[in-house]
Amino acid sequence: MSDAVRTHALVKRFGQQIAVAGVDLVVPAGSFAGLVGPNGAGKTTTLSMITGLLRPDGGSAEVDGFHVWRDPVEVKARIGVLPEGLRLFERLSGRELLLYNGRLRGIPKADVEQRAAELLAVMDLTGAADKLVVDYSTGMRKKIGLAAALLHNPSVLFLDEPFEGVDPVSADTLTEVLRRYTASGSTVIFSSHVMDLVERLCDWVSVMSAGHIVAQGPLADVRGDRPSLNQAFLELVGRSAHTGGPGLSWLGARPSEPRP
Amino acid sequence: MSTPSGSTPAVSTSSMSTVALFARLKLRLMAGNLRGDLQRKLGFILTLIAAVWFAVLGFLQLGLLRLASPDLSAALVIVAFSVFLFGWMVVPLMAFGLDDTLDPAKLSLFPLGTRRMAIGLFTASVTGVWPVAMLFVMFGAWIGLADGAGGWLLGVPAVLVQFALCVVTSRLITTALSSGLRTRRGRDVLAVAALLVVLLAQLPNLLMNGGLGDPGAVLRQLAAALRWTPPGMLAHAIADGGLVGLAEVVFVALLTVALAWLWIKALGRALVTPDVSTQAASVRKESGLVDRFLPDGPLAAVVTKELKYIRREPRYRVGWFSAVLVTIVLSFSLTRSGGGAAGLPILLTAFGGLLMALQSANAFGVEGRSLWMNAVAFGSERGLATDLAGRHLAASAVAVPLLAVLAVASALLTGHPEAILAAVPVGWGALGIGFGVGSVASVVLPYSVPERMNAFSSAAPGQGGIALASSMGSMVAIGLLTLPFVVPLLLGLTWVCVLAPFYGLLLEVLGRRLAARIGFARTPELLAAVSKAT
Repeated sequence: MSDAVRTHALVKRFGQQIAVAGVDLVVPAGSFAGLVGPNGAGKTTTLSMITGLLRPDGGSAEVDGFHVWRDPVEVKARIGVLPEGLRLFERLSGRELLLYNGRLRGIPKADVEQRAAELLAVMDLTGAADKLVVDYSTGMRKKIGLAAALLHNPSVLFLDEPFEGVDPVSADTLTEVLRRYTASGSTVIFSSHVMDLVERLCDWVSVMSAGHIVAQGPLADVRGDRPSLNQAFLELVGRSAHTGGPGLSWLGARPSEPRP
Repeated sequence: MSTPSGSTPAVSTSSMSTVALFARLKLRLMAGNLRGDLQRKLGFILTLIAAVWFAVLGFLQLGLLRLASPDLSAALVIVAFSVFLFGWMVVPLMAFGLDDTLDPAKLSLFPLGTRRMAIGLFTASVTGVWPVAMLFVMFGAWIGLADGAGGWLLGVPAVLVQFALCVVTSRLITTALSSGLRTRRGRDVLAVAALLVVLLAQLPNLLMNGGLGDPGAVLRQLAAALRWTPPGMLAHAIADGGLVGLAEVVFVALLTVALAWLWIKALGRALVTPDVSTQAASVRKESGLVDRFLPDGPLAAVVTKELKYIRREPRYRVGWFSAVLVTIVLSFSLTRSGGGAAGLPILLTAFGGLLMALQSANAFGVEGRSLWMNAVAFGSERGLATDLAGRHLAASAVAVPLLAVLAVASALLTGHPEAILAAVPVGWGALGIGFGVGSVASVVLPYSVPERMNAFSSAAPGQGGIALASSMGSMVAIGLLTLPFVVPLLLGLTWVCVLAPFYGLLLEVLGRRLAARIGFARTPELLAAVSKAT
């Protein structure tokens, strides 16, 4: 079994709207995979269903060959998750949050303390380790969330928009940690709509649009002979021609000079 | 207003247009709040009825003071005016965040001068159902108190100054505190401070029950003390109607202008002062006490986390404080009026235990959207059962000693010290029953508890029905499950009390197992229910 993640005809409806319409996502083990797509394409919904946080209306999902909804024990021991929105246990400090997370998964306290200290140091959070998470900035939240997701050494890591609202310095730290992690043979799957970043980091790309996978494979294959991934993406999701139409004519016109 | 075409419309900056603009803005906001939401519409209608009721009743009561002796009516109006001012100072703090025109920060990006802003915010705060009702009631005092031409003439400015004083003082306080109120720490403090107001509202009741003596004498003492406060002076001015009264009105009017000036200064400062509370101090290192009693593992992790949450989360703090307060208030009023039967301490302790345990009837509601962190860690029912057990252990660590204290206190208060031995185990048993029922309710009828200024707010919009069903269902279940105890107790078999903790423990274990089984199977639904946007 060389696929870290494989879904088959995954479907989710919200009322009338079909958010995910039969997705067959494949991610080979050991890859740094990007799940890209415009807003509302179904990225978050798909990731939520694979991580067991949302019940699919149809289809199946496997992680490391284990069925997500039939073998939750095996799957949950193998995955680390950083969902969107990033609600954490707000009234714990960063260090306490990591301790809670590790011990909840049955790792002995001494081990968790050591791992937490190392993760906090790598994430440059040692100074804020004893402040409450409720007082953290967005970048700090992403970093502590990632630390919590890595704490139990999962083999597959799911990250929903990990770089959104993160400053360049923190983003660099995050990518450095993730690169080291995949170099050891583990898998990262992250969603994003920043194409440059995906092009720089990923070796595998899945493109989603309107609830479907429209392209999937090694980065070079998806890009083809187009100059950039961004160009390929815009063509794949079928962007409508965008020329300046009527309207907005007032935008840029300067107001009259102050009267004497 | 003519606007030259092709350029930005010229804006008139006269005071009157500012007043009209903000009055319209406030009315729009009020109307917009009601659009499409039946619950809010009903709420507004109730508010309207309450305000009209308050206005008419207050007006009549103060107006009818004409029939009382001048001394008594003057004393009453002095107290009434002071209470009004106090109300204006306190109530908006509790309701802060409900009114969009009250937060100057929302207006700070508009090109408004401080003077226009002050006029506008003043207008916004007098536009509304309650301010109009208040003004109406104050004119009741004018009818009730004025005597002679001087009194009638001086009464109108006196009432208007009192109204302006109330509004300006209220604005000054919210503005001065607004930067504090927008911070996390400020809101944490205020959420718990709301309890104090609830307690204050109970104070007259307790004092009356306590029999402090003749209400007339109390009133006269109070009025004498408040005579030289600004509202006291205004009330006195209406009754006086002479030169002294005139001097008093002028003095308070000047004071009001001074307060308004201070308010404008505070406003100017509030708009450019950033929130620095997130640079706050660190938390203490944990004592490791839990780890001394529990084996290393998930259970210890949950207990450690829960104990921190009870201490740090305002919504938990409010829950615990009010459980204790309600029990104390209840025991006071019951012992005063009833003299106290032997069974009373037992009943009170059991009631306290249920109140404390019932906070766990929606165990996952407060943590809400962070619950995914547990969900991705729990691979089986065992995980959820451990989570519930940890929560119950943490709550017990606080509740068990607290209930013992409550039992002793209520037994001594009622004069039945022999009831202690029965009350303590019954309280613990009630706690166990509450935990068992609460576990099941948490997974069957979960709902989000919103994070608001006012920590008493119960359920997210649209989930009020679930919250109601959850608490009603829990009550009925608890009622049925306590029958095996209540019946023998009524028959005089007091010894069954000794069995109560064991019965409670049994129900806790059964309830927790059932809840884990149901809850694990519907984890996604549970997550969705407690992660509602609030």
